[in-house]
Amino acid sequence: MKSFVPLLLAASVALQVSVRAQDAPKPAENADFLRKSAVEIDRHIASFYRSKKLPVPEVTDDATFMRRAFLVAIGRIPTAEEALAFIEIEDAAKREELVGYLMGSQGYSSHMTNWVFDLLRLRDGRQGSQATNEPYRNWIRKAMDDNMPWDEFVSSLVASSGNGWDPKTAAVGYYTIDRGMPLDNLSNTMRIFLGSRMECAQCHDDPFGKTERKDFYHLAAFTNGQFQQNERYMRDLWREYQDDQKNRGEEYRVAQLFWDKIYGMSLGGGGNGRIDLPSDYQYRDGDPGEVVGAKTPFGKTVRMSDREDEGDGREKFADWIVTRTGEQFPAVIANRMWQRIMGKGIYEPVDDFIESKQTVHPELMSHLAKLMHDLDYDLRAFQHVLMLTRTFQFATNPNPSTLEGGDDFHGRKIARLSAEQIWDSLITLSSGDPDKKPVRTADNRIYVGDRPVLIGQMDMIHLSHDVLALKSEEEVRKYFNDFLAMVKKGGGKKGDGKDSMSMGMAPVRKYGKDSPVRASELPSPAPREHFLYLFGASDREVVEGASKEPNVGQVLSMMNGYVQRQLVGNSGAHVYKSLEGAGSEGEKIRRIYLAILNRPPTEEEMGWMKEEVAAQGEEGYRNIVASLVMSSEFLFLQ
Amino acid sequence: MKDLFNKADEPTRRQFMSNAARAYLGVHLFPMLGPTIASAAAEGAAKGAKAKHVIYLFMAGGMSHIDTFDPKPKKKDVMGPTTAIPTKADGIEIGSYLPKTAEVTDKMCIINSLNSTQGAHEQGSYIMHTSYSQRGTIKHPAIGSWVVKLGGRLHPELPGFVAVNTSPEYTGGGFFGAKFSAAPIGSPDQGLQDSRRPDEVSPEDFSRRLSLADKLNTQFHNRYPNADVKAYEELYREAIALMNSKDLKAFNLAEEDAGTRALYGGGSFAQGCLLARRLVENGVRFVEVQLGGWDTHYDNFTAVEGRCKEFDQAYAALLTDLEKRGKLQDTLVVVATEFGRTPEIKKEHNDGRDHHPNAFSCVLAGGGVKGGIKYGETDASGNKVKTDTVSVQDFNATIAYALGLPHDLVLMSPTKRPFKIADKGTPVTSIFG
Repeated sequence: MKSFVPLLLAASVALQVSVRAQDAPKPAENADFLRKSAVEIDRHIASFYRSKKLPVPEVTDDATFMRRAFLVAIGRIPTAEEALAFIEIEDAAKREELVGYLMGSQGYSSHMTNWVFDLLRLRDGRQGSQATNEPYRNWIRKAMDDNMPWDEFVSSLVASSGNGWDPKTAAVGYYTIDRGMPLDNLSNTMRIFLGSRMECAQCHDDPFGKTERKDFYHLAAFTNGQFQQNERYMRDLWREYQDDQKNRGEEYRVAQLFWDKIYGMSLGGGGNGRIDLPSDYQYRDGDPGEVVGAKTPFGKTVRMSDREDEGDGREKFADWIVTRTGEQFPAVIANRMWQRIMGKGIYEPVDDFIESKQTVHPELMSHLAKLMHDLDYDLRAFQHVLMLTRTFQFATNPNPSTLEGGDDFHGRKIARLSAEQIWDSLITLSSGDPDKKPVRTADNRIYVGDRPVLIGQMDMIHLSHDVLALKSEEEVRKYFNDFLAMVKKGGGKKGDGKDSMSMGMAPVRKYGKDSPVRASELPSPAPREHFLYLFGASDREVVEGASKEPNVGQVLSMMNGYVQRQLVGNSGAHVYKSLEGAGSEGEKIRRIYLAILNRPPTEEEMGWMKEEVAAQGEEGYRNIVASLVMSSEFLFLQ
Repeated sequence: MKDLFNKADEPTRRQFMSNAARAYLGVHLFPMLGPTIASAAAEGAAKGAKAKHVIYLFMAGGMSHIDTFDPKPKKKDVMGPTTAIPTKADGIEIGSYLPKTAEVTDKMCIINSLNSTQGAHEQGSYIMHTSYSQRGTIKHPAIGSWVVKLGGRLHPELPGFVAVNTSPEYTGGGFFGAKFSAAPIGSPDQGLQDSRRPDEVSPEDFSRRLSLADKLNTQFHNRYPNADVKAYEELYREAIALMNSKDLKAFNLAEEDAGTRALYGGGSFAQGCLLARRLVENGVRFVEVQLGGWDTHYDNFTAVEGRCKEFDQAYAALLTDLEKRGKLQDTLVVVATEFGRTPEIKKEHNDGRDHHPNAFSCVLAGGGVKGGIKYGETDASGNKVKTDTVSVQDFNATIAYALGLPHDLVLMSPTKRPFKIADKGTPVTSIFG
């Protein structure tokens, strides 16, 4: 009770204050609106049960609800303290309060970050280039932290342009991570934001007749022309360094820094609005090399000229996605959020859009799309509503879904946790509430090779602004030489962060791969030998590439590996600390259960565990911790 | 056939010990073999099948066929800076970035007439690995899982299917279940991670933990008789058998002498190839090793040269080493990729090449395949297949044929739909000796 209730209060007070601040609160900030919206959803589900003459599932018990709510909303199990507080509170409104607490927690944005990184294939580095995705990563991370509305988020990405290092324009990473493959980038845009599968049409007409290759090129015209800002002023200089195979010293590395990390991370132009048909164009309605103007394939048609570059294609494309595709844009994200919270999408796969009226639950689906719109694409508020529903509280149904490709609403499906949920839960057990730890920050230092230079004097934001503003080859050469001289003179002091602080810059905070922090703060993707990778974390090369496939390596890791080192065999682990002050064996066992499985032990289990302690003494507690973590109950969400 | 399959699986199930802890204590280590489908259905299969193992090297990202195994020396505009070099096989030339491979081309069958229907990475890699197009409603088993399912394991404790540096999405057991998923290796140097009991845990405590977990799991499984939950129960038994295996050292590269390690070269792919050889020698059926980074849209030639450096020495060493040990004759070494790359060179992408599923190259060696030959041909610029088209399914059927597995045997998924190891593919039989 001690720590949980004040936190709960803080969350609900915050909600009230924001409500009071305006006379007519936005729906997303109006607690009553959220509550009513939840009831509305339940009404749809209830009418489904009535029409099918099915019994409505029971509501699950408090402990199962708590564990589910934590894992779904913030991606980890509760700490021992949080679990104890919730179980012990006797308050009819405690479930609703818990949802408010979770939605206001730091953990919410961490959990969303994993999701959006998987969606956008966010890796820290780029193969074959010194370019980094660090500023782009930070932009996304902050957007999740600020709960940026989804429509604004999507249009910021799709319409982006400018300097990749400037925090205001770092969203250009959306395009620059796919440099050289604008068509794949476009297919992914259509797939992840609109649920429109166009990969086939990149090369040929869709055999199922939905999209022709020409449609694809009409669409590609919007984003065609993704060049690097002013790179022509440096091209010759870079070529000279590249051709000189022997000189691979500091000068070369500085040239590489300019080329890869400044020009290479910028995005010029704004989208031509026209494109050449490819050299292998095979249909009668166009010739290879023929120029076609931009035209959208569905929704309210937007066109651009095939005679001149209009230069604002990305903005027009973004605007079309977000405002001119009817229910498609809000419905796709609403269904994705439904899948996140309820465990299964109303239709699946979630990246293959089905019109509301074609789904198994037409009224519900169109209601959700409308709700998304009414909440101004506030994803946190939308998920908050879903978590307030009775539907979210349904008891677990052990039987597999009977409906292929969608939710049959026969109670909660049992599903293995994601790699990130398992990791984040394990570190909660080993080192306590991970959301109290500071998040990783962007590293804007200037690196020549692996060495940070000019610390406290200049950072990548300043340098890139200077360089991209240069207006001729002469200016670039002069700046390059001056900068080189500065680097040579300034040397490469080891950055300890103190210098940058004295300059008023934030210290850089990075975490190594084994740090006991949230998966969202670790290097991306997880290295191949990492726990996260073993449990199926996405390598972030393809959209939503995570897997829940079991394999033998996972159980070896549970028995002998990371789990043993970080948790079971670690006397300083939080789960052992939380036993301090427990008077009896029974109380210790109860606390271990609450910490790991977030429920008290049954009488039978208490008997087994007491026997264990009687036989093995102190080591017995370790054996209990080991066995609970190895149990399927720990790995699965009920 | 369906009944046969069900029966074949029955003894395997019965052999499961009821208690994982007892298995650990070594009361009786069960072999997880059971009669294989192949042994029952062998009559219909290839008579001359020689291969017992597969080492499947997957070039992820789409390997440029023109710059590697299908050069077009007469077409400078197609080749760019890549040239063709002669090889140890008469009349066969390959790309200039593969000098060591050229030395072993007499052991290889280069197939230049692959054709895929999928031009995006995810779908392309998926169909290559499973023979089926990706669907939202079913997970198809990877080819390694099919091989273990149809052919059985050769070693009672070591996994039948091991995957080094691969994506779990393409090495999963699909509807066959976790038992047929690859055991993943992240870093070949570290071998199979965590396969030893930690020193600080006594054998007694270890078995007590398992015994407790077993009780908890039995409870949970009774409440949720769910396939995914059950999979973990089976994996614990499997993991324990593996931990107890005297052949666990198969995973330990430190047992190789420095000379052999140097022969393969440094880097994760090279060491993965060496590990694959060790595993095959110890009775692992199917080992996949991945080499990524072939998605050369941008600056193709620099990138391909870099990839080939990783590949060339390791691949040549693998064939040479297997042959020296007499294992090349029963090990099929496959080089595969999801698609090729365009003959057209994109100037605006710093001389990049885009995806090209219309025509690309894969290579087979060992396992009864004739060496020093080419199969199939593309047109003058490597754009389209001219003769002897090999579909992705044909290619996988050929792998099955080499192993003597019935490529046309239908197995039913739990949803009662029929599937085959290579869908409708037919094997290319003329390349076998």
